[in-house]
Amino acid sequence: MAIPLLDARHLVKDFVIGGEVVHAVNDVSLTIDRGEFVAIMGASGSGKSTFMNMIGCLDTPTAGRLLLDGVDVATLSGDALAEIRNRKIGFVFQQFNLLARTSALDNVAVPLIYAGMGAEERRARAKARLEMLGLGARLMNTPAKLSGGQQQRVAIARALVTDPLVLLADEPTGALDSRTSGEIMDILSGLNREGITIILVTHEADIAACAQRQILFSDGKIVDDRRGAAKTAPGAAA
Amino acid sequence: MIARVLRSIRGWSVNVAIALTALRTNLLRSILTTLGVMIGVFAVILAVAVGDGAKVSVLESINSLGSNMAIVFPIPENDGGRRTNERGRLTERDARAIQRLVPGVRGIAPQLRATIQIVVSGRNASTSAIGATPEYAGVANIAAERGRFISEADVRSGARVVVLGPSVASKLFGDFDPIGEDVRINRVPFTIIGILESKGSSFGQDNDDIAVLPLTTVRQRLATNAQLGPDDLQALFVGFEDGVSLAQAKRQMVRVLKDRNRVQKGEINPFSIRTTEEFMEESGQVTGIFQAVLVAIASISLLVGGIGIMNIMLVSVTERTREIGLRMALGARRRDIRNQFLVEAAVLCMIGGLMGLLLAIAVARAFAAYADFPVPIGTGTSIGAVLFSALIGLAFGGYPAVRASRLSPIEALRSE
Repeated sequence: MAIPLLDARHLVKDFVIGGEVVHAVNDVSLTIDRGEFVAIMGASGSGKSTFMNMIGCLDTPTAGRLLLDGVDVATLSGDALAEIRNRKIGFVFQQFNLLARTSALDNVAVPLIYAGMGAEERRARAKARLEMLGLGARLMNTPAKLSGGQQQRVAIARALVTDPLVLLADEPTGALDSRTSGEIMDILSGLNREGITIILVTHEADIAACAQRQILFSDGKIVDDRRGAAKTAPGAAA
Repeated sequence: MIARVLRSIRGWSVNVAIALTALRTNLLRSILTTLGVMIGVFAVILAVAVGDGAKVSVLESINSLGSNMAIVFPIPENDGGRRTNERGRLTERDARAIQRLVPGVRGIAPQLRATIQIVVSGRNASTSAIGATPEYAGVANIAAERGRFISEADVRSGARVVVLGPSVASKLFGDFDPIGEDVRINRVPFTIIGILESKGSSFGQDNDDIAVLPLTTVRQRLATNAQLGPDDLQALFVGFEDGVSLAQAKRQMVRVLKDRNRVQKGEINPFSIRTTEEFMEESGQVTGIFQAVLVAIASISLLVGGIGIMNIMLVSVTERTREIGLRMALGARRRDIRNQFLVEAAVLCMIGGLMGLLLAIAVARAFAAYADFPVPIGTGTSIGAVLFSALIGLAFGGYPAVRASRLSPIEALRSE
């Protein structure tokens, strides 16, 4: 059997707040395989964001093992984690997080800078990704000259530009209206059909319903993990 | 290996590109910050240049004395703080003994000095008179520009003739050629036989405000010091051949003088000897201190400029916390973030340094053209100034850059 993309075993993350230890993530074990489309749900403070930060190698666990593509990221140095974030993970954020006063093309090319790629190849790849997401006519637009949905598409292009193993989307539709949310979810579903693994954090049930698997966090633990056929994105059919 | 070097060059060029973009986005702020460094670098370069200019002009004026020369005075050297009123007696026989016994002597020029009042048709000028022999011209590197210098015959006969420095001549006669004119010096009639070449000024003192007369004439008619004997001198200029060690010649002169004047061991040597070498060394020290003080004062403004850089970089790091978090999420290592801000500070400072340099060059040109004071800005100073300002950027940008690189990516991403 192939190595799972993500293999978390007895994962614990503690924070010390005001002298008291808080178990933000408390003994979580979970595997996610390649090609899955997973939605992680839970209320604010349930531990889902902390869990995502660890998967995204932005934070390291207090205890337990977290194997990403077979590598235990808990033992890696800061530079090695940066390389994993660069090569294996693509982030999509709620607030898009594009660089202001910077063209869509240059925004998408940023991860390639840290991959050490030359300027020409960076531009070619960034252009290809933007065209793939239907933004071929807007390469030179700055974020201020793009709609919310277009900005999130630029962000998705940026997340995909290094051909990562997994796309981590943290409330990707949180700042968008329902129509545009549907468009973005369609894009993510389409990417998943092409074989890209997607892990999505959301607190909206209809967004989570687009995924094939829903995991519910509460008080730092997984309380529900169900698989079901993905529904079509809300609003997309309309 | 080559791939790594290429990657690192590429990394730095990207950092420069990111830095330039960031500086362009806050153009006014960048310019104002740069201004501080510019003024600082300008002040330091000018301070160095003014110091160099002072060195050059002092060396020039010492060289104009005659390049390889010693002056003997019948005054004891200030020996370890002990002062004495015991003056030696320096005579023409001492002078001849030095010429005879010390190797490498090119010429000797005995000297008497007096302050004189020159009067001609209602105008008068007070100046210092040098009683000298014809050898003085060769030893002290001076000559008559017009007319002639004093001659052997003038000295033998105690002739009432005078050679004027250009300043004295113009004070008394304006543009009129005074050669052959009669003047009264301390009420005694004299004839002007020549005008000296200009020697400029040194340490703010006009070297052309002198008059040269025959040694014997000064002794007989103008010397005011009653203690002077008929053979006494007030100074002796000794010129040496090129390549003679002045330090060694000085020791030999001291021995000759001590022997002749029977100065015992332990007694204070009543003569002091100063060589051009010593003048240069001392003036080098003086101008060096002068320059150091100037540079120290100017450095304060550079320091203030540097603090301005640090301040603005800290603001920039705070403003761009979210960007830093994003870059980390996209794969920037801590050193990538640190280098990005270091390069930004260094570029800011180098631009400031370059502008400061250009301003300094412009001001130096203006100085040279209008104030007749040399302010040389060398290539070394120029390159040094720009590199140093980059260094200022690294030093003062260092703390903000390290602070940026230590941000937690999660908290940075969460910040507004």
